[in-house]
Amino acid sequence: MLSTFLSHQWKDFWRSRNKAGSIAAQILLGFFMLYFVVLALGAGIFMSQLIGKIFPGQDVISAFNGIILYYFLFDLAVRTQMQELPTLSIIPYLHLNISKKTIVNFLNVKSLFTFFNLLPLFVFIPFCFIKIGPTLGILSALAYVISIISLSIFNNYLVLYLKRKAINNIAYFGLIIGTVAILAALDYYHIISVMNASNFVFMNVARYPFLAIAFILAAVFIFRINSMYLRSNLYTEELSSKNEKKVSTDYAFLNRFGKVGILAALELKLILRHKRSRSSIFMGLAFLAYGFIFYKAPMIAKDEFGKMLFAALFMTGISIISYGQFMFAWQSTHFDGLLVSKIDFKNFIKAKFLLFTISCTIITILASFYGFMSYKLLLLHLAAYLYNIGFATVLVLYFATMNYKRLDITKSASFNWQGVGATQWILGLPFILVPVFIYLPFGIMNKPYWGLLAIGLFGLATLLMRNFWIDLLVKRFEKQRYKIAEGFRE
Amino acid sequence: MLEFKQLKKSYGGRTVVDIDHLTIRAGETIGLVGNNGAGKTTLFRMLLDLIRPDSGEVLSKDAVVANNDHWKNYTASYLDEGFLIDYLTPEEYFIFIGSLHELSVAHVSDYLKQYDEFFNGEILNRGKYIRDFSKGNQNKVGIAAALMQKPELLVLDEPFANLDPTTQIRLKTLIKTLKTTNRLTTLISSHDLNHVTDVCDRIILLEKGIVIKDFNTDENSLKELEAYFAE
Repeated sequence: MLSTFLSHQWKDFWRSRNKAGSIAAQILLGFFMLYFVVLALGAGIFMSQLIGKIFPGQDVISAFNGIILYYFLFDLAVRTQMQELPTLSIIPYLHLNISKKTIVNFLNVKSLFTFFNLLPLFVFIPFCFIKIGPTLGILSALAYVISIISLSIFNNYLVLYLKRKAINNIAYFGLIIGTVAILAALDYYHIISVMNASNFVFMNVARYPFLAIAFILAAVFIFRINSMYLRSNLYTEELSSKNEKKVSTDYAFLNRFGKVGILAALELKLILRHKRSRSSIFMGLAFLAYGFIFYKAPMIAKDEFGKMLFAALFMTGISIISYGQFMFAWQSTHFDGLLVSKIDFKNFIKAKFLLFTISCTIITILASFYGFMSYKLLLLHLAAYLYNIGFATVLVLYFATMNYKRLDITKSASFNWQGVGATQWILGLPFILVPVFIYLPFGIMNKPYWGLLAIGLFGLATLLMRNFWIDLLVKRFEKQRYKIAEGFRE
Repeated sequence: MLEFKQLKKSYGGRTVVDIDHLTIRAGETIGLVGNNGAGKTTLFRMLLDLIRPDSGEVLSKDAVVANNDHWKNYTASYLDEGFLIDYLTPEEYFIFIGSLHELSVAHVSDYLKQYDEFFNGEILNRGKYIRDFSKGNQNKVGIAAALMQKPELLVLDEPFANLDPTTQIRLKTLIKTLKTTNRLTTLISSHDLNHVTDVCDRIILLEKGIVIKDFNTDENSLKELEAYFAE
């Protein structure tokens, strides 16, 4: 039976509608994974040297012991956000003559095939054989391996269990991240040491290898709890979403924009009431930290805006890029309804501009805390902001008229490649290349401020031409709408 | 009211709609019948300018629907759930549709009062988004929103499917009344021959996109249709 399920899943993947897109995405994802696996393997093999560098003077094995529990704590935090629940695919089987046990087993087995279960094997196991085996004996090394695999499985099912218990996982995520942060802080101030605790545990595992059984028991325990919970709650409505009372809302501040405001309010509701669009907002806010990585004091001192341009464009324009790349497809489920309604396409396009302008303005204001680093960054952001609301919006909407892929917006955005087509891949190029080319000559001539001015003026000019763009986009939309609507209907 | 001229549409070499000439007068209630694949929905979609015909055109009040939006002022339609904005509550949806036709919130809620019976207490103030309703109730929302626009032309694709018996009967009465009071022109497609012959005064039978029969209903129509489909 399990093999039948797996073969169905296999067919599901290969016969899916946007096969080309998802295969391309899988290949890309595969490269990412490969990259991480290589990194992990490297870390695993050269663990002794790494520990020597990071914790100089400490005993290698006790430092290694100290890391293990930390790793799995972080692992837990990351999993709560990234690991997907394998649930939806079971609906067609529930009413058939297949025992619940088989279905639960399938879900459990399937959930093991995740990247997170693979990673610790590469990170920890090489060290067990390279160092621990020769030093402490093969039995201890074996106990380590068993403990690590068990911990990984324990985390796997714990996360699934928590996620199933609370579908809305943001609170859980915060809780777990918070716990990890607090433990790390306590460790830092030498109040309670996770590293010492971890070291203590694994010292004993090394000394009495049979203690590894405790980890196995813990993994089996959580596995059983998870299975029992699944078996008694194998109802799709309970597995999918919580029912809470929904209320009608009205965004008064948008009313002043008339019909355009009505359409913008409609779209705002769309954004706030769907998982995928909501998580893009969170991602957008997370990108606000981009500057801490890309803005370096020496760069700022030397006015090297070219190197920081990318981060500035991305931070201030994240809402335009992340929401705009799937433009129109967000509304794919009711696109026919919009077309037959008494909506002026001009207002339809204007509403998108309005939303982009508002969101981009908010993000830019939020990003202005970089002004504490240097006032120069504010100038950089201003130029990027003008470019984004002036030109990037037009660019994104123009590309949107070539996007015919229906989008399922009820699923989370992380690692979700549904609805991704060629447009999304190409879109990024002009978005980033246009400002770079504008800046380039000024950068070469060592006139960085003139470069910023040029980008800003370019943005301003395109912004002032907005009515022209709107007419252009409406014409384009009129021409493309049959094709878009047809694609969205599938 | 409506005129279809040399209208043709095919998908992958298979003809879906092929109508040489067809006129529909104002105030008529038309029933479109035919088996699956007869081209009913495709015809509706072309009428609503959602699909571009391969050749020919649809005229609404003598204006080609593909060339301007004027028809949207007096045409209301509900084909499937794709017409509903499913993440809104029904109230929000009605207010949105109302606002497109310059109806205030007060107007809308006033209008909805007369549909209390039609809704049977299952639509308003339920604290649910449209996507969480059953298909039948979604249909009700779509149909009521269409009627709210005070249309001169109403297009419904299988409106009786998924509706409970009480609502089916209420919908029929509603269409009949609007025909006499507002001279509403209605196009309905349906697989239910009973309902169609009951509510429509003209039946158009399609098969593989071609008009096979086009007649005004009388007491023998139902038998005639049943005989045709039994073959």
